[in-house]
Amino acid sequence: MRLTRAALMPAEDPTIMTLFIQQLFNGLALGGVYCLAAIGLTLVFGVLRIPNLAHGALYMLGAYITYFFLTTVGVPYIAAIGIAAIMLFIVGVGLERLVFHPLRNSPHTHHMIAAVGAMFFFQALAQAIWGADFRRMDTPITGELRILGAEISAQRIVIIVTAVIVLALLALFIKRSIHGQTIEAIEQDRVGASLVGINPSMVSMLTLGLSALLATIAAGLVAPINLLSPTMGDALNLKVFAIIILGGLGSLPGAIVGGFALAIAETMTATYISSAVGEAVAFIVLVAVLAIKPNGLFTKAVQR
Amino acid sequence: MNPMKNPRIIGTIAVIILLGLTPLAFAQENYAMRVITVGMCAAIAVYGLNIILGFTGQLNLAQGGFFGIGAYGVGLLTTDYDWSFWAAFVVSVIGTAVIGYLCGLIALRTKDEYFAIFTMAIGFIIFLVISRWEPVTHAHSGVNNVKFPEGGGLIDFESPVAMFYLVFAILLICVYTTYAIRRSSVGRTLLTIRTSEDLADAIGVRVGFSKQLAFAASAVFGGVGGGLYATVVGFIGPDAASIDKTFEFLMFILVGGMGTVAGPLLGSMIVTFLFELFQDFQAYRFIVLGPIIVALVIFAPRGIVGYLGGFVDRRNRRRRVEEARGADDDLDSTGASTSGGTGDHRARNVADGTESGAGRTGGTPSPEETK
Amino acid sequence: MNSVSRSRRRRLSAAAVLGAIALTATACGGGGGSGEGDTVVIGYTGPLSGGGAAYGENVKIGLEMAIDDLNADGVEVDGNPVTLELKSLDDKYAPSTAASNAQRLADQDKAPVVVSPNAGAIKAIQQINSGRSNFLISAYTSDPAIVQADNPLTMMIPPNFESYAEEFSETAMEHGGKKLALLGTQSEYGQQWTKSIKDAWSEAGGKIGGDNSVDYATVSDFAGPVSKALSEKPDAIFVGGPSQPTALIMEEARKQGFKGSFLVMDQAKLDEMATVTKLDNLKNSVGVLPVSEYEDPGTEDFLKKFAEKAGEKKVPTSETALNYQGIAIIAKAMEAAGTTDDPEKIREAISEALPEVDDKYKVNGFPDEITEQGHLLNPNLEATFLNEDGKYTKVPIEQVSDDK
Repeated sequence: MRLTRAALMPAEDPTIMTLFIQQLFNGLALGGVYCLAAIGLTLVFGVLRIPNLAHGALYMLGAYITYFFLTTVGVPYIAAIGIAAIMLFIVGVGLERLVFHPLRNSPHTHHMIAAVGAMFFFQALAQAIWGADFRRMDTPITGELRILGAEISAQRIVIIVTAVIVLALLALFIKRSIHGQTIEAIEQDRVGASLVGINPSMVSMLTLGLSALLATIAAGLVAPINLLSPTMGDALNLKVFAIIILGGLGSLPGAIVGGFALAIAETMTATYISSAVGEAVAFIVLVAVLAIKPNGLFTKAVQR
Repeated sequence: MNPMKNPRIIGTIAVIILLGLTPLAFAQENYAMRVITVGMCAAIAVYGLNIILGFTGQLNLAQGGFFGIGAYGVGLLTTDYDWSFWAAFVVSVIGTAVIGYLCGLIALRTKDEYFAIFTMAIGFIIFLVISRWEPVTHAHSGVNNVKFPEGGGLIDFESPVAMFYLVFAILLICVYTTYAIRRSSVGRTLLTIRTSEDLADAIGVRVGFSKQLAFAASAVFGGVGGGLYATVVGFIGPDAASIDKTFEFLMFILVGGMGTVAGPLLGSMIVTFLFELFQDFQAYRFIVLGPIIVALVIFAPRGIVGYLGGFVDRRNRRRRVEEARGADDDLDSTGASTSGGTGDHRARNVADGTESGAGRTGGTPSPEETK
Repeated sequence: MNSVSRSRRRRLSAAAVLGAIALTATACGGGGGSGEGDTVVIGYTGPLSGGGAAYGENVKIGLEMAIDDLNADGVEVDGNPVTLELKSLDDKYAPSTAASNAQRLADQDKAPVVVSPNAGAIKAIQQINSGRSNFLISAYTSDPAIVQADNPLTMMIPPNFESYAEEFSETAMEHGGKKLALLGTQSEYGQQWTKSIKDAWSEAGGKIGGDNSVDYATVSDFAGPVSKALSEKPDAIFVGGPSQPTALIMEEARKQGFKGSFLVMDQAKLDEMATVTKLDNLKNSVGVLPVSEYEDPGTEDFLKKFAEKAGEKKVPTSETALNYQGIAIIAKAMEAAGTTDDPEKIREAISEALPEVDDKYKVNGFPDEITEQGHLLNPNLEATFLNEDGKYTKVPIEQVSDDK
């Protein structure tokens, strides 16, 4: 798949405007990455009140399994991501059954610690199977687009577009389909939903499986930009948590706004202030927002 | 109940005595001394976590950050500014307390999961500051050659045994403080907040203020543990403030038992032992340890001390039921009875929440625990 | 009344608790003690899981290869044949764990030597290796702070990284231009390198842009930092971190139109980077000389053995090769000193051992002397400039003094 160069304004030298536009696009692409990674997590957190610290590890596993199908088995890129997504869905369900279901009556501390245990396990497993070295995943998507002197690669455009499409599909799924509506029902009132006959267990499994699936799609799209390693999910983990808290737990629009806002803030502060501030900005923003609005930007009624 | 006959107290004292005697056996084993002493520094920080999490029910994930502040306070003051250890230690602890209090002010506006993630973010910011602010903290180069405490010519703290007893003494203070809190009205207030904030508020408890205090207290303990850690290991890097440290503390308190007096100590020692035991597996140890952690959380969420305590409680209850039955029989024959006293105990025991699974485990304080 | 059962219960609880403490104590106190008779343990503490795992594994491979070869050739100390054994522990890059590991290896496994491959860990270990415990640290780091520490039992293997700054700057300026952009990694090591290059570059009369160092480990998308660096219109860019992320940064820079030269920190290896990106993207760079380009007596065989052990695709790096040499030096020092458990004597014997080491162990630039402070020095240190034709040309490096 090739996108040809479309020069809207040929310019050889980078100007201040060009830098800004370049960084804006980079920020958007980063936002796409964060969004895809955050959506699944906000669902799990919002519906199940489970802080799934193992989400980064699921993302990492998704990347490795995509890599496996792409290189070892030799399946085409999109298909590899698809198969991996389905496999991770099953892993997500397994995680729910084995780890979170037994803990459903326990306080959140326990969920988080159990998730940490699962995270360590997944990382050790990935290292045992694929080794600790960095791996590069190739993508068939090549080419760049040139807009106003700024370059943005096709892969990044695909990420942004995919993020938007996936979000739209997810919103449709939750609002229109029966299964999706059960998720929303449980999110709004767990007890009431089960009184009406919705099985919370099924919804839990569905949600966690879905979050793993979404994380895998994110990983499969993003991995060619970066490298695979057993710890690739770690840095993302914390940021994604910051995003969903910022946006409000369980809120899809919150995850989207939070993801893009944070990514652009990060890119811009890194460009115009310093990279150290860029790294910290996610957390500074988080602290600032929570100090004013303790329940995040887009709050739903907090269920106790 | 006579404190001297209380199994919990006996147990705790036994643990403490055994721990205090280890240097007699291991004075020559540098490795064992080091591991145990470092473990005790962590235990002090875990006692702090116990106050905010075990008693007050708030999951504070910034404890690693406060540990790091304490460590860097002592480290930087004794090296770059050439202060004496004791002066540096005191200032460092006060500094951690202040920072802890300020963080608490903002953090405690949030609740539950928000609070947990928020404190995780605070902890991470602390780590970032330490690992990036090169002019002040040396960033990743770390702080080397932290001073030993000055013994004033009487004690040589370069000896591992002396260092051990220093940390041990401070640990004892922490244990006693925890015990005192448990017995006092402050402790009851915190436990009430843990059970239900809204309810506590309704009965007139100053929820916000108490939470502030607990948070600041936990930061202080964290700073103390960190300050001691710096002088024990001599070289500290940003990893002293990392989120991994926080997860370590969480594991210690989980295994030991939240809200108990002996739990943090026991948990720290046992998990440290487990980690060292599994060292031989190197990279693959988490393939085993990961599921063990999950299993512990699922099957033993009250921790070892929690379960021992529950075991003791059950026996107590059974005994009292027998007593009451015996007394009822006696009533017919002798007329005198101890049922009055037994009745009281029975009433207290009715509210004893155990592993029936109803409601959130760990959320209902057993009256036996609120001595 | 029920005092019997009550005290029994007390005893039960106390016993359970006592048992747990006893277990803890014995676990630390017990453990396999070896090192008597004919086996000598070489200890290794390094990052074997987590972010630094690839690096830690590379070092371990070098140690294993050396020990296998030495055992095959036979080591004889004081008339007795000696078998070397490697004992590795994972420290996950945490200095305090590294020191505990080193302590354990020295105390329980009676290792006279412990290898550690990162500066933080080495500094922590130096707090404890020449007091109550005595053991030699085989230190793999190019941070000179560890030989400025006055530790009598340290052997530093790699060259002082500050030695590279001057020639790297000159070479990059010659092939690029006067304006330098800084895009190294945020780690301790990266920060030190950045400072060193800044000083040397200014001294050579060049101009320096802002410090755009980023954390190679946490940045998800390198395009942003690269754009920022390129906006300064630099003629040369300093990069460096682990090989593969560094390769991605260079690739991104070329993609965004950068035509100048690169200075590559010694942590990143050009030939290892070539497995992740096209060689074209790496041209016009000055960096450390790949192991495969060395022409030492033992290099060819070493490369063959490495390919057998680690697979054809894996590129041998200096952490593997230099540690291979390092163990050979230690073994010879033990032979020369006539002891396997006196670290001080072993350390003293290193100078006389160096010329005696068999040629097959000389693979990556062999040192001919060890300084008072414990630094091994290779008189013919060379770096490389990867030119437009894809050839690794040699750049001789003069080693600077280790003094502060």
